[in-house]
Amino acid sequence: MRYSTGVSPSDPAPFLPLPPAQFHVLVALTEGQLHGYAIMGRVEESSGGLVRMGPATLYGTLKRLVDAGLAEELASRPAAGDDQRRRYYRLTGLGRSVCGAEAERLAGLVRIARINLQPGMG
Amino acid sequence: MGTAHPMYQALTRLYPRSFRGEYGDDLVQHFGDLVSDRGLRAAWTRTGVDLIVTIPRYRLESIMTEHQSATTLSIAIGLLAAGGIASLLTGIYPGLLLLAAAGVLAFAQRGALARAIRTPDSNLRRRRLTTAAVLGVVFVGLYVAYISLIGDRWTVRETLFAIIGTSAMFGAAGFLIAGLLTPKSPSPSPSASTPATR
Repeated sequence: MRYSTGVSPSDPAPFLPLPPAQFHVLVALTEGQLHGYAIMGRVEESSGGLVRMGPATLYGTLKRLVDAGLAEELASRPAAGDDQRRRYYRLTGLGRSVCGAEAERLAGLVRIARINLQPGMG
Repeated sequence: MGTAHPMYQALTRLYPRSFRGEYGDDLVQHFGDLVSDRGLRAAWTRTGVDLIVTIPRYRLESIMTEHQSATTLSIAIGLLAAGGIASLLTGIYPGLLLLAAAGVLAFAQRGALARAIRTPDSNLRRRRLTTAAVLGVVFVGLYVAYISLIGDRWTVRETLFAIIGTSAMFGAAGFLIAGLLTPKSPSPSPSASTPATR
């Protein structure tokens, strides 16, 4: 729907900048197929414990990512014997592209900050 | 653990129905995992803040969905227009600005209103026509009461009759038009033959 005006479906630009919660979840999903509780754990680890998502924040973020086509729910469980009630999610091609573009954008910002904050600058 | 899960499950009922329907079980399971892994206190600390922040947020987002905001918009336009008409009747002419505001709002939001009207929902046509009929009856009832009760000068009662009556009149007309414009049955979507975008 959001691409009906000639924007390429694989163009990450319209999604940038990503809200931090969405970026954290996308980064977690770069590890592979994960269920909600595992995503929360990965986000906490990757942020050094600074980002602690509650259940509704996490599932609200997942819903936005799925609705935007950046993540998708798996139809089947990746591991046999896993709890059948758990729902697993993974990145889509667009999600991977958007995640990479946001990482590049933030890396550029970090470069500028490092240069400007060097001793003797400003 | 005790009543922790039922209590959390009860609190999840405060989320909008659509979110609860899609993720209600996941939320409760997630809470159960948190209790198992980190203890009851840590689980409530995290989910308590989460509940306080997300319930009003998701509620607001739910209200602002296109269909519901179109309904809110229609009611706002109807009330503004009714206020403007009532100002004409009562001779308080600055109130005509309300009528102008209703016109500007309807023109500015004509796209959202048109999309809401065209929603292909077979039940919606019936609901809109029923609402139009109910508002029409309210309008006629109020008009009859207004004619029989009105005094020789404007009071709060007459003003209320005028505002509610004209609101009902605008509402009946609006719902009748929207109902007649709503497709009788879901029309085939032009995107049905094209790949999904997500």
